Amino acid sequence: MSAVEINELTVRAGSKVLVDNVTICVEPGTWMTVIGRNGAGKTTLVEAVAGIRRISSGSISVSGQPMASLNERERARLIALVPQRPSIPNGMDVKDYVALGRTAYHGLLRAPSASDRAIVESVLERMSLTEFAHRDVATLSGGERQRMVLARALAQSTKVIVLDEPTTGLDLRHQMDLLELLKTEVAECGLTIVATLHDLTLAGQFADRLVLLDRGEVVLDGPAHEVIRSDELGRCYEMTLRVIDIDGFEVTVPVRAGNE
Amino acid sequence: MLSTNPPTSRRVAVVTAATFAGLVAAVVCGLAIGPTSISTTRIIGGLFSEMGIGHSTLSPLQATIVWQLRAPRLVLGLIAGAMLSVAGGAYQGVFRNPLADPYLLGVASGAGLGATFAIVYVGQGLTTPAWTPLLAFAGAMIAVLLTWTIGGRGMRSTAATLILAGVAVSALLTSAQTFVQQRSSADSIARVYIWLLGSLATASWRSVWMVLPYVIFCIVICVAAGSALDVMSVGEEEARSLGLPVRKVRLVVIAASSLGTAAIVSAVGLIGFVGIIVPHILRLLVGTSYRRILPLSIFFGAAFLVFADTIARTVMAPSELPLGVVTALIGAPTFVLILSLRRQLTT
Repeated sequence: MSAVEINELTVRAGSKVLVDNVTICVEPGTWMTVIGRNGAGKTTLVEAVAGIRRISSGSISVSGQPMASLNERERARLIALVPQRPSIPNGMDVKDYVALGRTAYHGLLRAPSASDRAIVESVLERMSLTEFAHRDVATLSGGERQRMVLARALAQSTKVIVLDEPTTGLDLRHQMDLLELLKTEVAECGLTIVATLHDLTLAGQFADRLVLLDRGEVVLDGPAHEVIRSDELGRCYEMTLRVIDIDGFEVTVPVRAGNE
Repeated sequence: MLSTNPPTSRRVAVVTAATFAGLVAAVVCGLAIGPTSISTTRIIGGLFSEMGIGHSTLSPLQATIVWQLRAPRLVLGLIAGAMLSVAGGAYQGVFRNPLADPYLLGVASGAGLGATFAIVYVGQGLTTPAWTPLLAFAGAMIAVLLTWTIGGRGMRSTAATLILAGVAVSALLTSAQTFVQQRSSADSIARVYIWLLGSLATASWRSVWMVLPYVIFCIVICVAAGSALDVMSVGEEEARSLGLPVRKVRLVVIAASSLGTAAIVSAVGLIGFVGIIVPHILRLLVGTSYRRILPLSIFFGAAFLVFADTIARTVMAPSELPLGVVTALIGAPTFVLILSLRRQLTT
């Protein structure tokens, strides 16, 4: 059974087609990254997978369960979302923010249980956030903030996490740290990752599989090292891309027009 | 004490203790202060006597003043302050809008039209008829239902469309009220204005028992929704992705807040600012979590309105100031002060 199964998915906004007849299956315990230019439909696709975007046709299943038949609570127990621009509420402390990830597990009128609190503590520790537990979320740096949002998603205890541009606004060090943390979760907990990334080098290094989206359609879908080396990638971005091998890692470099 | 940082449990405990102390002081003021001087000791003795402990030293006239005039007014003030404050806090949470108050979705204009209709057509402008609370209540509920229906087809609405629909419905009903007023006598207009400015002067045990069930029911629901409102502080889409049935929560909180507010408005008229400033003051004192703001709003709001009513009936005694005027006079500068403090604390 696939962790995520997207079948002939189409999403429209008015007359504009944002995602066009997309079919993708993501195997459990793997990392799939969607790449493509701005406006290719990446965010729409992952928001549809996370269940917060109304779909026009097709279907999405997570862990074998059709998303359309699930309510918010059931969905949040199957799939967690790290949005591109998470809302950071002033005055809330880090621990309470991470505990929002347990919303789907306790009743609306009930406080988090001892087991909810234990899970939050454990996630804070895994994300090295314990020392910030009582800090105001608005006072954290960009890197700490992104780890906190990831911690909230991990607190949902789902098998699948969807991340929309998780490295936006982070410096190189923090980008690598965050993606390494995710890779550890995939390796140790069997987590399935569906992400979007703009940085093709990072996408190629961390994902098992890349899907190239253009104008809402899947152009390429395959193992990361194959997609990164495909001529189609440069054509899609309308520029020349070179892939350089450094100690076994593939680095994608854009080439300025005229230097080709 | 003031800070936008998450509060320590000590700070919450201190604010809670101070709120209860303020509530006790408000109750004592509400019973003891008035044109007829009655000592606090006698009132407390009378209170214990009512509970079967000891004997009351109140004279029959004093007992009538305390238990039939001041006590129902005090209790209605406590109930109204608590409900308006909780409803204001709940509206601010559900709309993620610090300017939201219990009248946001048209409760005030609907109640105003209902009351005006009762005074002008049922009472013929000669009296404020017994039908006034009922028609004010009906007007308030019809206004909210209209807003809910117009503002994006009910369950598919968003916070923004509901607020815009509330503005439209309020404007429509206010113009209808003005039309009815314009065609009525000067006496009717005077009575409508007195009603609109809010007052506890006509409070009776009957009015207390009429609104109490609604208020208890609605406050329990709003306070219980505190955790859900905290989840909504990250926005509707994120809250849904976290497993919160946002539309259901919004429906339940708006219904409870509006029902409770309509019940209060039908009994005491329009009292502004309580629903805005009480949650704001508490947000500064105990942080942004609705799990703390809403329960404390019950007691803080109750004390605030009783103090305001004490000012309303004593500052120009023997005549009374309209309660809505007093809350606005206290509320407006307090609101400016809160905004200024928040700016200082966040920069």
